[in-house]
Amino acid sequence: MIDLLMLILDSPFLQRALVGAFLIAIVASSSGTFLVFRGLSFMTSGAAHAALGGAALGFYLQATGIAPWFDPVIGALLFAVLVSVVTGYAGESGIAEKMEVAVGVSFAFSMSFAVFLMYYIPSQDVLRIWAYLVGDILLLTDFDIISLAATTVILVFIMILFGKEFIYVSVDMEGSIAHGMNARAYHYLMLIISALAIALATKAVGAILVYAIMVAPAAASNEVLRSVRSVILAVFCIALLSELAGISLSFIIRVSPSAVAGVIASLSYIAGLYVKRARQHVGLDELEKELEKHQPSLTPSMPPSNHHHSH
Amino acid sequence: MGRQLMMEANDLAVRYPNGDIALHDVNFSIDSPSFTAIIGPNGSGKSTLVKTVLGLLKPAKGFVKLHGYDSVREKNRIRKIVRYVPQRDHIELNVPMKVKDIVLMGRLLKKPPPRFSTSKDRNAVIAALKQVDMDDLWERPFPELSGGQRQRVLVARALASDGSVLMLDEPLAGTDSHSQDLIVEALGTYHRENDVDIVMVTHDLNPIHSYVKDVLLMKNTVVGIGTPCDIMDLDMMKHVYGPTARIVEHSGHRYCITKDSGFDRHD
Ligand SMILES: Nc1ncnc2c1ncn2[C@@H]1O[C@H](COP(=O)(O)OP(=O)(O)OP(=O)(O)O)[C@@H](O)[C@H]1O
Ligand SMILES: [Mg+2]
Repeated sequence: MIDLLMLILDSPFLQRALVGAFLIAIVASSSGTFLVFRGLSFMTSGAAHAALGGAALGFYLQATGIAPWFDPVIGALLFAVLVSVVTGYAGESGIAEKMEVAVGVSFAFSMSFAVFLMYYIPSQDVLRIWAYLVGDILLLTDFDIISLAATTVILVFIMILFGKEFIYVSVDMEGSIAHGMNARAYHYLMLIISALAIALATKAVGAILVYAIMVAPAAASNEVLRSVRSVILAVFCIALLSELAGISLSFIIRVSPSAVAGVIASLSYIAGLYVKRARQHVGLDELEKELEKHQPSLTPSMPPSNHHHSH
Repeated sequence: MGRQLMMEANDLAVRYPNGDIALHDVNFSIDSPSFTAIIGPNGSGKSTLVKTVLGLLKPAKGFVKLHGYDSVREKNRIRKIVRYVPQRDHIELNVPMKVKDIVLMGRLLKKPPPRFSTSKDRNAVIAALKQVDMDDLWERPFPELSGGQRQRVLVARALASDGSVLMLDEPLAGTDSHSQDLIVEALGTYHRENDVDIVMVTHDLNPIHSYVKDVLLMKNTVVGIGTPCDIMDLDMMKHVYGPTARIVEHSGHRYCITKDSGFDRHD
């Protein structure tokens, strides 16, 4: 135990990894949850891969000297926001299916764009572009942590302030507008701030893991849990635990922490489906027992059976 | 106070982006207070009319007003006085929102952010849920209710809210006769005891026949307007619903029977 603490105190990269894991778990429990509520989990993937395309543009502009000031992170943020705006535009009517297509198209566009530019980028930079795809939480820089932390703080602040509005937009866009709420503004606000957080998280852990961490726990919790608050909390726990497991395991055996975290997070979704199924069976068994118990005494004098629901 | 118009339309036409003309040459006016039913077959433009009144759709031609407010220029005024329940399938079931929070939504949407709920709001929610006999299930997640129960909760959302016009798009869709009676009774009582207008889109006039004051019969335009008994004209019904339409009289009221509405509940 003491050894572990010493190790953490001694290695700044481990500290950064832990802070990063914590921040990403927060992003997952806010943006991830709301995107799943909105029926838009795919946008996580879209924004993450767009970030990759944007980063490629940054490397290209820097390598060719066209715009040396254009940091790849700027490109990543810009492209991710672009995806969220296109998605939001397609979904202004409130229909989630339409947004799904918009995400797919932006996804394809940014990946093609990235591959296109790779022909003109020096090969060491190409490797850094691929890092956006797989990421490595143990290689985070101070700048990564600070930018991710700043975005997370803004994200949490906005989610606390406008959580109700985001839920209303997800549940009943038309009704919200008809009651005088500016649903369009909240619709875009949620998508844009989520995209920013996703882009920065992508830099930290890679596009594939971002999708696994942001979507799988939220989808799993939404299958099993029965209130908005408990879903948010569960997502935070699942995301954090899978990341910590990844980091810990990478010290014991030679594995990529992101890969482990991604696998565990994805498994949580399957576990969620299984729990839901199992619960249905338990429910049926109990019902049968209940019926057997009442069978002999099913007379009019019996009080009606209690349909009480546990929470 | 002089005569006030609840709703009026003048030369109204509405088309969708794909070019479909959903409404054309719509002209009518209805006095306030009123319990109005908008009836007509599928695709006859009932929802379109309601959405246009709320400013969710823009007229291609003409105008429609609610309490004197133009649906385009004064839509913010309209949205202050209206309580709207969309057609049930427009409610997304992906969010595990509690029943009480769905009902509370009707009140909180009328407030500016951060939309905190007061004890007055919560009392109104309970009272409204009682009226539709859903107060036992107020802690349940909304997506776990049956279709008819959801419909009752959405009606409670309108009852709990503030605003002088209730607009409900097919609140009776997919309900059994028990839910139907609860909803109709709750709305009828609310209309009688409060100074509100109720506009209700429905497939079937029969269950609300005795509560309704004005009826708009639609088929992409207003085919008829009048009291429920006026509207029950055989030629008009045949024009709208096809040759299977029948009119029957029962205890002083006329009922219309089409293929899709049985008359067992009016025995
Ligand atoms: N989003 C849309 N885009 C294009 N056309 C539409 C759209 N919504 C409705 N329409 C068309 O407008 C017409 C009127 O539709 P509307 O939804 O108003 O009918 P309705 O009377 O409410 O029908 P229902 O009883 O099925 O609810 C229909 O012909 C329909 O095809
Ligand atoms: Mg309709």
